[in-house]
Amino acid sequence: MNSSKEKIGGEHPLVAIVDDDESVRESLPDLLGEFGFATHSFASAEEFLTSDCLAQTKCLVLDVAMPGMTGFDLQRELKLRGCGIPIIFISAQKDEIIRRRALQQGAVEFLFKPFSDTALLHALNTALRVT
Amino acid sequence: MTVQLEHPADEIKRLQRCINDLVSLLALPAMWNGSKPSDIVHTLRDSLLRMLDLDFVYVSLPNLVDAAPSETVRVAQSREHMFRPQEISAFIHRWLGDAPQKSFLQERGIIGDEEVSLVSWPLGVQRGIGVIVAGSHRTDFPRDTETLLLSIAANQALTGLQEARLLSEQKHVADELDQSVAQRTAELAATNELLRNEVDERRRAEEALVATQRNARLIVDRIPGLVALLTKTGQVELVNPQLVEYCGRPLEELKSWGTSDTVHADDLPRIGQIFAQSIASGDPYDFEARLRRFDGAYRWFQVRGLPVRDADGRILRWCSLLTDIDERKRAEDALKRSEAFLAEGQRLSRVGSFSWRVETGEITWSDELYRIFGFERDVPVTLELIGSRVHPEDIPLLHDMVEKAQAAVGDFEYEHRLLMPDHSVKYLHFIAQGIRGHDGRLEYVGAVQDVTQRQYSEEALAKARSELANVARITSLSMLTASIAHEVNQPLSGIVTNASTCLRMLTLDPPNVDGARETARRTIRDGNRASDVITRLRALFSRKDAIVERVDLNDAAKEVIALSLSEFQRNRVILRCELADGLPVVTGDRVQLQQVILNLLRNGSDAMSTVDDRPRELVIRSERDGDDRAIFSVKDAGIGIDPQTIDKLFQAFFTTKNDGMGIGLSVSRSIIEQHQGRLWATRNDGPGATFSFAIPFTADTASNT
Repeated sequence: MNSSKEKIGGEHPLVAIVDDDESVRESLPDLLGEFGFATHSFASAEEFLTSDCLAQTKCLVLDVAMPGMTGFDLQRELKLRGCGIPIIFISAQKDEIIRRRALQQGAVEFLFKPFSDTALLHALNTALRVT
Repeated sequence: MTVQLEHPADEIKRLQRCINDLVSLLALPAMWNGSKPSDIVHTLRDSLLRMLDLDFVYVSLPNLVDAAPSETVRVAQSREHMFRPQEISAFIHRWLGDAPQKSFLQERGIIGDEEVSLVSWPLGVQRGIGVIVAGSHRTDFPRDTETLLLSIAANQALTGLQEARLLSEQKHVADELDQSVAQRTAELAATNELLRNEVDERRRAEEALVATQRNARLIVDRIPGLVALLTKTGQVELVNPQLVEYCGRPLEELKSWGTSDTVHADDLPRIGQIFAQSIASGDPYDFEARLRRFDGAYRWFQVRGLPVRDADGRILRWCSLLTDIDERKRAEDALKRSEAFLAEGQRLSRVGSFSWRVETGEITWSDELYRIFGFERDVPVTLELIGSRVHPEDIPLLHDMVEKAQAAVGDFEYEHRLLMPDHSVKYLHFIAQGIRGHDGRLEYVGAVQDVTQRQYSEEALAKARSELANVARITSLSMLTASIAHEVNQPLSGIVTNASTCLRMLTLDPPNVDGARETARRTIRDGNRASDVITRLRALFSRKDAIVERVDLNDAAKEVIALSLSEFQRNRVILRCELADGLPVVTGDRVQLQQVILNLLRNGSDAMSTVDDRPRELVIRSERDGDDRAIFSVKDAGIGIDPQTIDKLFQAFFTTKNDGMGIGLSVSRSIIEQHQGRLWATRNDGPGATFSFAIPFTADTASNT
């Protein structure tokens, strides 16, 4: 299942959200909308990969632990495809080892749930600066 | 003196007679040659009496050896009525005793009633030999011719006596010599006889000895044993053929037994010492040693040695008898080994054995039983003694047992305790079998096992099991931490995000009230979700020890399922719940039962982690089994159970998982068994396995529902 709250025109960068938890998919697009981003939510990594919005996506907010393809699997897959979308990992599991690994693999930020709106905004700004 | 003239013819006659007498006197020494002094004295006396027509003659030879009698008196036959020899002797003693020792004396005196003339003439210088006294009643005595004749007779007698004396002395010496020769000869003869006797005796003794030795030899050669004769210093002197035959070695080789391999090298130092001590002290020796047989095999012998002593107790030699005791020794060893095995077995298994003759009260204990009871080995065992160790609370058991045992033959089995002096308690398991002997007497034979360790082990096991269950719970919880955190953090994340959005929407100008309301509503929903998670977690964390309560298995299962959902989701497990409605409650520890359910769910999920060709379906089912129990089962479509390991599944630390601890199923089973239930595994008809447990319903609820 995916949903999108896109702003018309190009001034609203598209942020893709991939998380198997419904409450994240419900709440995060509203917040990002308040920040002025267009969003598109996916319940799994596979959905995101098969969608047609990879090219438009300026940033990926990605859950780590998901059934099937995990967040890391997706990160690896995107790298293999030569797709350099900046990734912000979010995880309910507070595991520093996993966080460090993700950052080494090129993630822009790794936020533990629950995270504050300012931390997320800061990460998004960083990600968009990178590109 | 008046000289009376005589007639010439008479004178001539008288002179002629004197000459004849002189010739006779001069012939005397020839007659006396070799005569004894007494013979000389007799001849002299008689000759003088006849020649001089004397009344008597007295001769005394006090200083002449062998001249007894030393004093003789001869009275002329015609005068015997006039003189008595004693009177004559007494007179002469008086007369000569007064006079000094003159060579010639004359006297006129009265002897008896007669007046006589006496003349004494010495024999030898100063009467060195003796004296001659002649007496006559004639007043003209002695006339000149008579004096002459007397002096010549005295001289002749002196010569004769001296020769006789010499002869006598020579004879005496010769006699003494003869005598000592004879004595010496006799002594030598006697000695000779003794020697001969001794030689005879020795010969006889030697003959007897030879005969004895021959007999001994015969006995020794035929004796059913090995015999060796040793010198008094212990050197082998002689052995019987049996010994030579046994060892397969000649006597000469056997002599050096102390340095050869005839005696087993392990025995040699020991018996060498015993042997040397015996030889030194003279005490008999008796020892056991292995001797090499001709074929090199060593056999056990009893070696006994006795000293052979002579009459004075001196050791002549040693006689050594070697008896083959190999069979006996082996039997003894086997017996000892068997006894040692038994004792060791009893010690290891802490089992003691006993026999009890009921009528006599005679009780025999094995060593181990003494050890178990803590009594000294030599203490006589009585029921009182046993009673003194039995735990006071178990004394009635003992009395009961004794009564029953005395009443009838039977087998019985008891468990009772001992209270040891150090206040420790021992648990004994006691089994006895009654038998009647040939004499009809009742005897109990039995075994007593010290099961204290087992008892303590069981207690410790129960404790360990409970601890293990706790560990398992904690372990499961720690494994669940990830999903718990996930469960809690997910709603929290939603709450925080929604609240942030809500705030931002309200701060807009104009405020987005509808949006804010929607985000607030989601905030509340996520808050409740978080609260539910916390409530369920509290149930798992809050209790430690097993508690007994009424448990609805379906509710318990639902809680566990709710906690595990995210994990199932992650593992792409499709859950199907088939929980029976109206299932009666069971009695037990809710959390422990949830542990079991959780364990079964996790196992089922893990078993399917590599399955990709079919749905990862997990069926959770609860159902009634008759009126008295519930069955709860978890069926997976996983890799299934290897038939070879199905028996090991419930053993602690058995696991088919790389990251598993392997205590899940064994702990689960012990939990279910503590609930009077049963846990088992079956292979599905299709893929995978089903794990099930059955638990009885709480008694008062089963029939009502």
